[in-house]
This record gives sequence, C-alpha cells and structure tokens, in this order.
Amino acid sequence: MRRTKPLAVVAGAALLTLAACGGSGDGGETNAGEREFDNASETIDKDPEAQGPAEDIEGATAGGTITVFLPGDPGPDDLDPTNGWSVTGNSIQQALTSRSLTQYKRDPESTTGEMILVPDLAVDLGQPNEDFTEWTFEIRDDATWEDGSPITAEEVAWGINRSMDSEQFPSGPGTEYSQQYFLGAGEYEGPYTDKNTDWEGVEFDNDASTVTIKMAKTFPDMDYWGAFMAMGPAPLGKESQPPAYGQNIKSNGPYKVDSFRPGDELVLVKNDQWNPESDPARHQYADKWVFKFNADGDQTDQIMLSDNTESQTALSTQLGSSSYTDGSEVLGDRLVQQSSQCTSFLYPDYESTDLNWRKAVAYAYPYEDAWQAGGEVPGVTRVPANSIMPPGMSGKSDYFVDGEQFTFDPEKAKELLAESDTPAEISMIFYEADPLAVATQKVITEGFEQAGFTVKATGVQESPYSTWTNPDDKLNKSLNLRGVNWCSDWPSGLTMVPPLTRTGATYNTGFFSESAMDDRMDEIPNMELEEQAEAWGQLDEDMSTEFFPIIPTAFRNDLYAFGSKIGNPTGDGSIGAPNYKDLFVMQ
Amino acid sequence: MSSAQTAGPETLGRMSDEPQGKDPSTKKAKSITGKSPMRIAMGRLMRDKIAVVCLATVVFFVLIAIFSGVLQRLFGVDTDTVLPSQFLDLDGIPRPEYGPPYGAFTMEHPFGIAPRTATDNLAYWLEGARNSLQIATLATVVATIVGITLGLLAGFLGGVVDKVISFITDFFLTLPFLLAALTIAPIVSERFRDNPNYVTIQVTQLVLVLAFFGWMGLARLIRGEVLSLREREFIQAARVLGMPTHRVLLRELMPNLAAPIVVSTSLMLPAFVSAEAGLAFLGIGITSRPSWGQTLTQATSFFNDYSLYLWQPLLGIVALVLALNLLGDAVRDALDPKTRR
Amino acid sequence: MFAYVVKRLLAGVLVLFLVSMSIFLLFWYGPNEPARVMCDTKTSNRCNAERLDRFTEELGYNNAWYAEYGDYVKGVFVGRDITVAAQTTRCDAPCFGLSYKNGKPVWEDMKDRLPATFSVAIGGATLYLLLGVPLGVAAARRRGTVQDKALVSSFLFLSSVPYYLFALLTWLFFSLKWEVPLIGDTGYVPLTESPTAWFGGLALAWICLGIFGCTQYTRYARGAMVEALSEDYIRTAKAKGLPTRTVVYRHGLRAALVPIVTIFGIDFGTLLAGTIFTERIFDIEGIGLWSLRAVMQRDLPIVSATALFSAVVLIMANLIVDLVYSILDPRVRLS
Repeated sequence: MRRTKPLAVVAGAALLTLAACGGSGDGGETNAGEREFDNASETIDKDPEAQGPAEDIEGATAGGTITVFLPGDPGPDDLDPTNGWSVTGNSIQQALTSRSLTQYKRDPESTTGEMILVPDLAVDLGQPNEDFTEWTFEIRDDATWEDGSPITAEEVAWGINRSMDSEQFPSGPGTEYSQQYFLGAGEYEGPYTDKNTDWEGVEFDNDASTVTIKMAKTFPDMDYWGAFMAMGPAPLGKESQPPAYGQNIKSNGPYKVDSFRPGDELVLVKNDQWNPESDPARHQYADKWVFKFNADGDQTDQIMLSDNTESQTALSTQLGSSSYTDGSEVLGDRLVQQSSQCTSFLYPDYESTDLNWRKAVAYAYPYEDAWQAGGEVPGVTRVPANSIMPPGMSGKSDYFVDGEQFTFDPEKAKELLAESDTPAEISMIFYEADPLAVATQKVITEGFEQAGFTVKATGVQESPYSTWTNPDDKLNKSLNLRGVNWCSDWPSGLTMVPPLTRTGATYNTGFFSESAMDDRMDEIPNMELEEQAEAWGQLDEDMSTEFFPIIPTAFRNDLYAFGSKIGNPTGDGSIGAPNYKDLFVMQ
Repeated sequence: MSSAQTAGPETLGRMSDEPQGKDPSTKKAKSITGKSPMRIAMGRLMRDKIAVVCLATVVFFVLIAIFSGVLQRLFGVDTDTVLPSQFLDLDGIPRPEYGPPYGAFTMEHPFGIAPRTATDNLAYWLEGARNSLQIATLATVVATIVGITLGLLAGFLGGVVDKVISFITDFFLTLPFLLAALTIAPIVSERFRDNPNYVTIQVTQLVLVLAFFGWMGLARLIRGEVLSLREREFIQAARVLGMPTHRVLLRELMPNLAAPIVVSTSLMLPAFVSAEAGLAFLGIGITSRPSWGQTLTQATSFFNDYSLYLWQPLLGIVALVLALNLLGDAVRDALDPKTRR
Repeated sequence: MFAYVVKRLLAGVLVLFLVSMSIFLLFWYGPNEPARVMCDTKTSNRCNAERLDRFTEELGYNNAWYAEYGDYVKGVFVGRDITVAAQTTRCDAPCFGLSYKNGKPVWEDMKDRLPATFSVAIGGATLYLLLGVPLGVAAARRRGTVQDKALVSSFLFLSSVPYYLFALLTWLFFSLKWEVPLIGDTGYVPLTESPTAWFGGLALAWICLGIFGCTQYTRYARGAMVEALSEDYIRTAKAKGLPTRTVVYRHGLRAALVPIVTIFGIDFGTLLAGTIFTERIFDIEGIGLWSLRAVMQRDLPIVSATALFSAVVLIMANLIVDLVYSILDPRVRLS
C-alpha cells in the first residue's frame, strides 16, 4: 500500500529521508531507550466463524466525540472505496464507514495487538475452488446501507467490477490486484472505460446472495484482498459515478459521512441503520468522529501533551520527535508505538548503475542522521531495515546483503566505488516545499559526499512520486537514484515484492527488470499455500543478494498519542493505524 | 484612491513613509533656509540619543553582514551541513556536551547548535543577518529607483503620463502583497528548478517581488513634491532659459527631493527586512540560504525545550527592524522640524 | 457629487478588471505545465504524458487565453459548467473554477471560510477603535505627563516590531507555555455552534490585532485632540462652561474623525482580505490559512480566487473610504 502521509512528510521528507540503519557509529545513541520496538505478530490468524455482534470492549461506554489529529497528513482526496489505497484513508473508512467482503479484528486475547481476519459482508472468508481460481462469497442478508436498504450481492459484484477500471481509478488498489489476478486482467478495462464489454470475471446471484469471482491465475490471497474496501459494494448505476461519488459516498459501516473537506476535515456521525448483529468486528461507541487532516504538528503535540479538555478525547496519529521525550513521560501507556508495516527505500536506476555502486550507496547513506534531520526518532519511529519485507510478515528472511547490516561507512563506500564502473555521481530530487525534506536532503548529500560521490539534488514543488512514476518526465530520466515508501497490503510478500520489483510495476521507480525474477514472482502463488510465505522470503533474499536492486533504508513505526479519556488506546497492526474500530470515549 | 499599505497588522510593516491614509497635516511646505538643510538635519540627528543608539545598532548589523565570513572564521564556525546524529539526543535536542539547552555554552559553538540538524547557530545567525540586509538593501534600491523615476515622470510631465502612472500606482496598491508573493514564489521555483543558477534566481525573484510592492509610496510622495516644485520660480526660470528636461529633472529637481527620498528609503529598509523574514516564516521565502525567518519556523517546535534557538533569530529581527524604524523616524524628524509626534 | 461617484466607480471597475486579468495571466503563463497539479491529483501522481495532454486539453490550456478568461469572467457572474475527466460539474455564480484538489467549485469552500476571517477582522477592528481612540484622547488630555510620554514611546516601540513576531510570541506564551484556560486554545468554532468556544478561540487573535493595530489610531486621535484642544472654539466652549467631557468628545474628536475613518476603512478592508499571519499562527481556518495551504498544494484556482477576493475587498474599501471622505470633507471632490 502506498503511504500517503506524503504531502509534506512522506513524499518529500520521508521518501528520501528516512532510511534505515541502526547505529551510525560511536556507541550509545542507537538504543531505543526505554521503548522496545514492537514487533507485529508473526502471522495474522483467520477466523471464518466469527459472527456479529462484536463482543464489547471492557469498560466501553457510548457517547462523546473523538477528534483525530493527522499532522502533516493530507488524507485522501476522495472517499470512493474503489479508489482508496492509502494507509490513512483505508484505515479510517474500512473501520468506520465502508464495509467489504472480509475485515480484521484485534484479537481481544492478545496483548501485542494481533489481528485476526474475520468475515464482514460475507458470512465466512470465502469458498475457493481447489486451485484458487474461483472464489465464492455468500453475502449476509442483514447488512444495510445508511438509507436502510439491504446490501445486495449485485451491489457487491458491481463494486468489484469497478475495481477493474484503472483509467477511472488510476490510483486504486485494483490496478495492482484486480487487474493482475481477476479474469480478463490486462484486457478488460473496467465498466466505465470498457462500456461495451460484458465482463464475466464476477458473477452474482441475488437469490442465493452469492458473489463469485473468477481468476485469471491462482490467487490464494483473495480473502485478504477482500478486506479492502474496494472489494465492497457500490450503489448501482449513476449513483456511484466517479468522481462525484468520491465526494459523496453512501456508507454502510457504523458511521456515515457528515461532511468532508479534502485535505482538511472529515466528520463522521452515527449511522443508525448499521446493524451490529451483522458485523463481527466493528463497534459504534462514540457519537461522532472528527478527523483533522494536515494538522499542525507542533500545535498537535502541544495539545496532546497538555491534557486539556480538548485533548482528553483526542488522539494524534503522529507525535513529533521533538516531543518524544516529554511524550514518553507525560503520556505513558497512552503513547502507542505501532509498526506500520512499511519499508522505506532508495531505488537506484537499474539500467545505469552496477551492483558495487548500489552497495556503495547503501554504505554512503547517513541513516540516523537523515532520520534526525527529518524529525524522526532513530530506533523508535525508524529502525534499520535489512530486507524488502517488513517485520511481522510471515516468511521474512533475516539475511544481510553484505554480511552485516548496512551502516553509514564512507570508507567502505569508497572501496566499493573504486570497483564500480558506474561514475560516482548521484542525481536525485527532493520535495522543496517541506523544510524538513530540505534539511534531510542536505544531510544525505553530505553523507554521500563524504563517501566520494558528487551529488546533484533538484528541489521539486510537487510530490516526488509525480516525477518518479512518470517515465516520460525529462527530469526523471536524468535521475539515477529515486525512492519509494511501501507498506504491505496484507501480511504476505505478495504485497511487497512484486509491486516494487516486477518489470513495469508502477512503483518500481528504479525500473528493475530481470525476467528470472519476474518468473519466480509468477510461480509463487501457484505453490502450496503453506510454502508461499517461505518462498517470498527466499525470493526477497535471493533477489537482493544477487542484484541488490533496491536499498531498504528503514522499517517504519508510528507513534500515536491518545487523550486520557480515550478508552482502549491501541493500534491496528494490519494497516498501521490507530485501532479505530475499538476506541471509545470514557464517560 | 488611498493607500492600502498602512502600518496596521497583517501588512509587513510600513512600506512607505507616506502619510497613512489621508493625513490632513501633510507636510508640503518646506522651510528653506540659507544653510544646507542636510547639514542641519545631521546635527539634529546626532543630538537625538535614541537615533544615535539606533544608528549604532544598524551599523553593528551592517558590519556583521559585511564581515559575516570573517566573523565565522574568527569564531571557527561555519554553515556546513554536518551529520547530526552524533551531536543530538533521540528527540533531536543537542546533547549537553555540545551546549544549550541542557549544557553550558562551548567555545566551538558560541550560540549552541541547532536541533535536528546540529548545524552551528552562530554561523546561521550571521549568514541570516547578511541575507536579510542584502535582500532588503537590494529591494530598497530597486524600489527607490522605480519610485523616483515614476514619481518624477508623473509629476513633471503631468497630463496623460501622470494619469497613467497614478493609475498604475493605485493598481499596485490594491494588489494584496502577501498573496502576490505567495503566488509568485512557487511558480518561479518550479519554472527554474533545473537552472544551475537557481539560488540567484530565487533571490532575484524575492527582491523583485518586494520592490514591486514597495515603490508606490515613494512615487506618490515624489509626484506630490514635484507638482509643488515645478511651479516655483527657479524651475520656471530654468525652463525659460531652455534647459533640457533631463537636466531640469536631475540638476534642479533632484536636490530638492533628497529629503523625502532619504526618509522614504530609511523606512523602506525595515519594512523589507521584516517582509523577508515574514515570508520565510510562512515557508515561501529563500529556501536555499540561511534566513532568520526560516529558523524561526523551525524553532517553534522546540520552544518548550530549547527556547534559545527561537530567541536568536527573533531578537535579530526585532533589533534590526526596530533600530531601522526608529532611525527612520528620527531622520524624518531631523529633516522636517514640523513633524509632530 | 454624482459625477465623482461615477468616476470613482468606473476606476474601481477598471482596476478590478486589470487585477483579475493579471492574476489570470500569471497562472496561465507562469507554470511550465499548468495542468500538472490537476493531473497529479486525479491520478494520484501517476500522470504520464498522455494523461497530462488530456488534462491540458480539458482545462482549456490549448485554447487562446482571452477566450478562457472570458469564460472565467462569465462564470463569476452567471456561473458555468466545467467538464474535467469526463465529469461535468455545475459551478454556480460566483464561479471561480474548480479546486484542483477536490474538484469542487472554489466558492463552495470559500464561503465556509469567510465567517472565520470575518470574525477575526470584525473583532480585531473593533478592538483597534475601542483601545486606540480612548487611549489617544486620554494621552492628549494629559499631554506632556509621564503617562503620555510612556504611552507614546511604548506605542512607537510596538509599531516598530513586525506584527507576526508579536503574534507569534503571544501564541508561544499564552497558548503553548502558560496554556491559559479558555483563550489558550485558539482556533475557529462557529458562533452558532458554541459562543464561548468562538470567543475563546479568537480572543488571542483579537487582542493581538487590537493592541498592535490601535497604535496608529492612538497616534491620530492624540494628534487631532492636541490640535483641537488648542483651537479657539474649544477654548470658547470651555469658557462657556461646558463640561470637559462634552468639549473633548463632541468637538475635539470630530476633527480626528476624518483621518480615523479613513485608515479604519482601509485597515478593515485589509483584514477582511485575509489575515494570513494571524490565521497561520493562531490556527484559524479562514481565507488566509486556506490560501496559504492552497499555495503549498499548488491549488491554483483557490489561490487566484483568494487573490481576486482580496483585491475586490481592498478596492471596495478604498472606494467606500473615498466616498465617505468626500462627504465628510467636500473639498476633496474639487481637487
């Protein structure tokens, strides 16, 4: 999943800024202090039997308004479920407004926040055929829209059909999954672009309340993919016409949209038509949710630390590094560190660089320094990364490309550079509108220069992604070092490795291309289910060891600050967000 | 149309010495004495204690700006980027051994080091002063030239030219300065991002934006003065004698305009210093060089833990702007004994 | 009088026309790829050359600028339909185009922001007057005393400090450091939602604007009063035995009225046109902060709409001031 924190923070700063690596050297400073890095659970369990209503959270009370500050995070531009593919938007909508085939639930037994995959609109986690090329979901009959009308199988099928339309939803997750695995992938262009084709990839039976999805190739992860709101219903016909629908969605979760101002504010109020009996995981405790996008970081920190009446029922999705020490003291357990299932990368241009050059870059990147300049807390919000797959993903391999963790080591970089045929020149871009990104770039440049590189860093005014993902861009063609931040969509290497390294993948910003690797990526989903996790980990290791196409710089964690009257302050490990489903206001 | 540029809040300070709004007590009539008015004014200025203190302050900053490089070498500091992690605690605050806020001041970094980036504060402060004065001075020069030229032309030629220029003046006065600056900056940045002279272009852009929104007051003032002067005997005489227009303008008119120009200029400087820092504070000023306003924005995050970092640029701006403003007022008073306060 | 009004109105319209055209041209010729932002947003940064071309065409950047400008102006008065990405949106008058970010008519969002800016402006301007004029009068009556000198010099000092620093320090201490209850928590809450929260959220902003803005009113009020108090008619009035208060307010202040009304009109206009620093520092979601954000996000229709809005407000303020002025002081019309 793409990270959208970006406008200020990720796109610019973080992208190139963060990186991963523990200790840039002399002792002491790396230890994360009092806090241990929360490893997310190894695997996500599945419970196809779970039924609504969800059991009450201990001590939960109804009522009140929860305010969520999202510092430096512009949030989604629209709320269309089919278009949603960002941590922020999906975490909010999937928990509160928009249901889909399946969903996650925080394991009440577990203290480390393990998530369980449970049914949502489907009565179970779907019935695949033997080779996972056809999945049938029975849609429950007691779920309703916000206007009280029942959700039909046809509407679910229509929602799934929409996800095939890459032209209407160029940034939707369907581009990566529906358009890869569903029948007609690569040919059928979706219901809006390809009006005349009668697509057979998804079929429904309103009487039996079933939806059947046919695959182009074996797709064992359909139950996970079903937890995306893109795999949920959409009103038929004109009512869900994009892009208007994105500003005016019809909710079916416990809350509905009261008002939405992109980049600014989203207000949700209780949806009285939501039937708790129909939902195994969601709750409806608070009366109202107010999400404040693009909140000012410093002000939010101050509000959260002050424990005034406003902050008692508020939470912040990002505590700034300058408030980390104070925050640890003042907030205690209410400062929650959550693995965001994300890795930050530098992505060298594959064509124009060689292996030694790429390793030299990995040794020349001043990991901790870049984190600090970008306002991150080394060892807490950023930890050293060794692989493409983030911690907590089953099958993740603990290999080291060069025998040990890459750290900032200019001498080693110089040695490698001497053996490289690629000129010691780096050409990269950074997001100039964000002072933190500018400061970070300066530090990165300094690190590279100490290692003997010459650096040409160009400031851009828009998100660097708009340059990196545009193969036609003149500036992009001149770069030999790009970046990307990537978060897993579900705990499988399938959602990390191919989207970043498959030939032609959108976020393959280094244009890596090796047909042997592409073949292995195609093979793994055909393997026995139990072997797949290992296989992804092995592919991650083999690819990096042999080609080292992409340089992981950091595994990312978030720091959430919860107000003193927010009950059950926890995170959602499946997506890397506050656990919106289970929060309440203590009365 | 009246001036939109008053000294009220939300403007970036006084952009001109023009009487705010329509001050009925205009000071047109200049007393003409036998001695050089400039000399009298200087004497008066020197007797004004506040003016002397302000002058000293201004000179101090000018020296800092000019000798910024030398001073940095003297203190052994520089604005080079460093790798910060070895100097900072986890929350980005400098460790005690490198100076404030938790440690004592050190000789290596007399003003301490910056949070997050660990760069030297003194060096950034000195460069900030230089940057600030350089941009303000350049903008003042440009604005003064534009203002004088248009004011002279309008006042002296009169007729259609006067009408057109007056209209342009009013036109610029109705443009919201801040929004214009906000709008132009990113467009220019985008257009020239690949240009090797990007830094220069950014500075030029800022100077021009400041100047283009700062000349109107002076132009009006000059026009007014010229209107009253051109009917006076000595000008009439020069024209009758067949002196060419440019000579009349430069030789006869200009010396009589020295006072308003000096006053206007001396009040433009602080306005531009203030504007430069204000724009940088909003995040749209100079991004590629140290600037006080930039530091100010970054420092607000650390105010509780490391307030010194905020006070440095803040006191710099306040001291410089205050000294320049008060000096400007004193100059005006010295040149025009009739000004009441 | 009538001819004067017509003349001033025509000049105002002409200025408005030029301002709007300058803004339009700036955004037309300024950016390298004017359709880029819209394209990036609509495709979540996956804007390739082909998509960019499509957006460039749709947004009309392939047409002549004057034709598009004509459409724009027409939209402002009667509204228009705008088609982007095969989606037609009705943009009612006053139509300033569609936001690149959310695709909604700019005016729809703008009118949500206006109450915040108006609240700031009205409260701030009221405080200017309530503080400034009485202080000036008081100072004039105590002319030459220590209090008078202290007031004059401290106000001189204050007005020589950049406003945003004053506001920033106020925020840092009152909100951040001392966390003063009620007023420490700044921001805009609609008056209709909670009058106390509305008041508390804006109080610091008003105080800042009020204290900082009142200095020049004090100066004018004091100057005019000092002059007036020495005039013959005041002395006569005093000699007649009228109460000092009546003399001071009825007669003395009248002289100060003209300059004060003038600067007040302009100041108020400036505030209405957008209080960027105040809104940025005190986190008030008004026009100023909105336009600052739009600049950062390069949402050009919003930026041009706010610029145009400010210009309109300033021109109107100037016009009204001039008209009022010509009523108060008939000599103006003749000159």
